[in-house]
Amino acid sequence: MPDVEMKSTDAKSSEDKDKKEDKKDDKKEENKPEPIPPTTEVKNNAALIDRAVTTLEPRFTHRVLRTLTALRKRIDDSVLRNAIEGIYPKDSAVKKTLLLWLPPAPASGDVSMDVDSTPPAKTPTSELVPEAEMYLRLLILHHLLKSEDTHEKALELAQQTVAKMQALNRRSMDPIAAKIWFAVDRAYELAAEVSDARPLFLAAQRTASLRHDDEAQAALLNCLLRSYIKYNIYDQADKLVSKTTFPPSASNAQFARYHYYLGRIRAVQLNYTDAHDDLQQAIRRAPPAKTAPGFYQAVHKYLVVVELLMGDIPDRSLFRHVVLQKALTAYFEIVKAVRTGSLSQFQATLSKHAAQFAADNTYTMIIRLRQNVIKTGIRRLSLSYSRISLRDICVKLHLDTEEDAEYIVGKAIRDGVIEGRIVHEKGWMECGSQKSGYGPEVSAELGRRISFCLDLHNQSVKAMRYPLNAHRKELAAAEGAREREKELAKEIQDGELDDEDLGPDF
Amino acid sequence: MAAQLKTLYDELVRAFSSRPSDLKKCTEILPKLKLGLIEAGVLLPRGDVNLGDLVTAREILEIGAFVSIRSRDVPSFDRYFSQLQTFYTDYSESLPSSKREYPIRGLNLIRLLTQNRIADFHTTLESLDAEVIAENPFIRHPVNLERWLMEGSYSKVWNAREEAPAEEYKFFVDSLMGTIRNEIASCEEAAYESLPLKDAATLLFFENQTDLLKFAQHRDWQVDLTGGAIVFKKKGEEKMEIPKQRLIAASLAYARELEQIV
Repeated sequence: MPDVEMKSTDAKSSEDKDKKEDKKDDKKEENKPEPIPPTTEVKNNAALIDRAVTTLEPRFTHRVLRTLTALRKRIDDSVLRNAIEGIYPKDSAVKKTLLLWLPPAPASGDVSMDVDSTPPAKTPTSELVPEAEMYLRLLILHHLLKSEDTHEKALELAQQTVAKMQALNRRSMDPIAAKIWFAVDRAYELAAEVSDARPLFLAAQRTASLRHDDEAQAALLNCLLRSYIKYNIYDQADKLVSKTTFPPSASNAQFARYHYYLGRIRAVQLNYTDAHDDLQQAIRRAPPAKTAPGFYQAVHKYLVVVELLMGDIPDRSLFRHVVLQKALTAYFEIVKAVRTGSLSQFQATLSKHAAQFAADNTYTMIIRLRQNVIKTGIRRLSLSYSRISLRDICVKLHLDTEEDAEYIVGKAIRDGVIEGRIVHEKGWMECGSQKSGYGPEVSAELGRRISFCLDLHNQSVKAMRYPLNAHRKELAAAEGAREREKELAKEIQDGELDDEDLGPDF
Repeated sequence: MAAQLKTLYDELVRAFSSRPSDLKKCTEILPKLKLGLIEAGVLLPRGDVNLGDLVTAREILEIGAFVSIRSRDVPSFDRYFSQLQTFYTDYSESLPSSKREYPIRGLNLIRLLTQNRIADFHTTLESLDAEVIAENPFIRHPVNLERWLMEGSYSKVWNAREEAPAEEYKFFVDSLMGTIRNEIASCEEAAYESLPLKDAATLLFFENQTDLLKFAQHRDWQVDLTGGAIVFKKKGEEKMEIPKQRLIAASLAYARELEQIV
């Protein structure tokens, strides 16, 4: 079980990762020429954060954080050590505490060479803002999380960092704090102590919402939901969702995760329509399939099951998608069984892939599909026969007794799955004509679909990302237009004057 | 734990394990014991508490749950169950597992089923391991019942009522049968035009006709005694009304949305 969960995190964190890489790519194109060595990048970033805090310009911090995940892959012990050496003055206390988390320099040969070559150029004299320290701690934390041996150390650092972060209590630290919370959650999870972290997260979430710290709040809510769902405590997860509001300004990555968790909760509660909406939102908000395959696959697994439970059959093209094809093979077979309404095929597929479904946490939901299989079977029969004996239904659907068949058909009629009657004396089912297709329920259905499309449109608009400062150009264009308009007005005025001048002549 | 609590506890165990259990005495002792537990700080345990005390507290609550089922006090069972949750989930690692845990969980599932709280049923089920659901007889029973109910295999539910894995499960049988009869009745209303009385009795699991007639009266069915059949009112072709209000509201909403898009 834990292994599986971990795998899915990897998928998710890779999703976050990829997401940022995406943005990073955009940025890189601007300053493509030569990739900066990671040490320099860390130093630059620290300087940027310093500037952000001193000039009260949070966008520099955001810029730094966007590069976080790409950078995370490139750092190692020596990079971090050199960066810290370079950033802080020689006998700084902060530097010493930070360096404590890294293994001591190996044979000082290469390092000292590096130190010799760089410091003389610019030896920092003043301490940087605490935000920079937090950023470095975040980097170290991610670095420690990378290898299994240092997980314990990472947890220790995480706890200390959280304590320090809460003691400092600076608003300019909020964006970094959100990232730190994610790393902290990961640290707890790798140390298999997620449930212990829950009180800490709950308290932090309360504080964050009081301070309108949207980013941290979004990150924390997701961490909490994740931990609840991991332990299958769906009722508490549901309570958390109903008692909190997810900050609307949260990033798309956080929104995608939130919708995914929400979809899972709703699916467990048999609220399939909402679950379906949420899972679709999650897919829409998530980065493209190729960059974040893990998340894409995980969401689609649930989406397929939920669609089946709703009585729909998922699109076949879905299973041909490059990213999904392999991951969804088992689900494709289940879909085939449900579509043909064959209980025996369904049972066979279920037992064949039971392990995978259990690993995906979809097993209990797939068991619920049994009744859908029967319903589909009855519907097929009712479409092909105008009259069929209960005995035959029994044989065709592999039911145990005729008595069962009678009850099942009765229930299907009541639930509106088929139109028909049972004639008990003769022991057959008469299938009625299909519905005329007109009536108030049609308009209701149409209304439902239209509102779905409108919602889809609105959500997509909200999910769009705009390049920074693009509106400046537009503003300039608008300015130009206004100028032209003025000129035009002037000309018209002149023209009018001309007219007036001309007037008397006419 | 205080000596007084200990004697009370012993008394409770004696009253409960005597055959048949002395329910009256149990219900007398339980409130006192609960007060004692609160004073000792183990009813809703926090932080580090003596594990032995926790096991005793859990047993007291478990007995309480069983006693409330036997005295048919479902709300009280509900309370005991939510108090037990702490012991079953949060302390599952430190405490030795209780042999009464799964019977009580199963009872809770049945309770949700009889109250037709299917969503809660599934949420609760989700918190159990797949292995337990498939293997444990106490859990498997309600799970099967739910599956049959959802499919419509009502006769299987009827036949399973005697196979309850624990004595207490039978206390829910009556209300479960009531739920099933109502389900079947609503299906019959939709699926049949008329039904001979004899067959209706078998379908609804009635032993004699008087019960059936009472039930039919309750559901407002037309009974044709001479023909020996129940005639169901034909629903359907009611006059359709155009939902003006809703259509107007919908059109206005579309107009507003379109305006936003354009």
